Amino acid sequence: MKELSLNILDVAENSVKAGASLTQILLTEKDNVLTIEIVDDGCGMDEDVVRSVTDPFYTTRTTRKVGMGIPLLKLACEQTEGQLTIESTTIEEDPTAHGTHVTATFNMDHIDFMPLGDVSSSVLTLIQGHPDTDFLFRHEKDGQVVELDTRQLREVLEDVPLNSYDVLEWIREYLREQYEALS
Amino acid sequence: MKVKDLLGHGFEALSLPDGDREIDGVYIGDLLSWVMGRAQMDNAWITIMNNVNVVAVASLADTSCVILAEGVAMTDELKETAEAKDVNVLGSADPIFETAVRLAGLIG
Repeated sequence: MKELSLNILDVAENSVKAGASLTQILLTEKDNVLTIEIVDDGCGMDEDVVRSVTDPFYTTRTTRKVGMGIPLLKLACEQTEGQLTIESTTIEEDPTAHGTHVTATFNMDHIDFMPLGDVSSSVLTLIQGHPDTDFLFRHEKDGQVVELDTRQLREVLEDVPLNSYDVLEWIREYLREQYEALS
Repeated sequence: MKVKDLLGHGFEALSLPDGDREIDGVYIGDLLSWVMGRAQMDNAWITIMNNVNVVAVASLADTSCVILAEGVAMTDELKETAEAKDVNVLGSADPIFETAVRLAGLIG
């Protein structure tokens, strides 16, 4: 992963696996600091699990004994003297407001800062793989905003699946236009 | 050549739970996610990274040993985890290229 967009994809996949109906991917670039937040309303994690997800030997997968999503994101931000925090509320603790909030900050002028890469493609990959859950993507860059909310698309599209070719192409173009409009 | 046979040839043992492992080939890299998908089983892996994720990548790729080049120190966390997960870690005071050349001379 030479780009942060792949780390984002990896962590957002965890949200979907946690049963999230809405996963938010929020990027903010301000004063040379990039903040990446991945917020979901999934089943949440208790304190012990939150502590162990930064341990590379923790994984919910059964096929291998190592889970690298969060450890690599943590490494990537700490290399720029940023930090990673995780807050989580389990469904047992709060049946109405549960989920996980991952926040990673990066100093973009640090020499070890990895480029963000193609976040639009990561968002498209998520929608393509999980057309029945919702994603809110928001990238704020020095006050200007690129945004996509699948809940709004769903209202307009009604029964058309979000992962149909035409819809995905439309989303790709929609994001591209918004990025082009950023000065 | 076994991992333990490197000792005394400019390589020192930092964690050596399984010195009898055979070395087959060498991989060099510091971007862990990259190494994860490319290092081959039984490779000796030369890197300058010393955070705990190194042990996880070595374990995933099933390398025969990690070689910390440039005299990079072992952190306590790395040492504990390497020993707990049976991952061999050696140290070399030389830069990566010189370390690789020396290793190539030894493993033939």
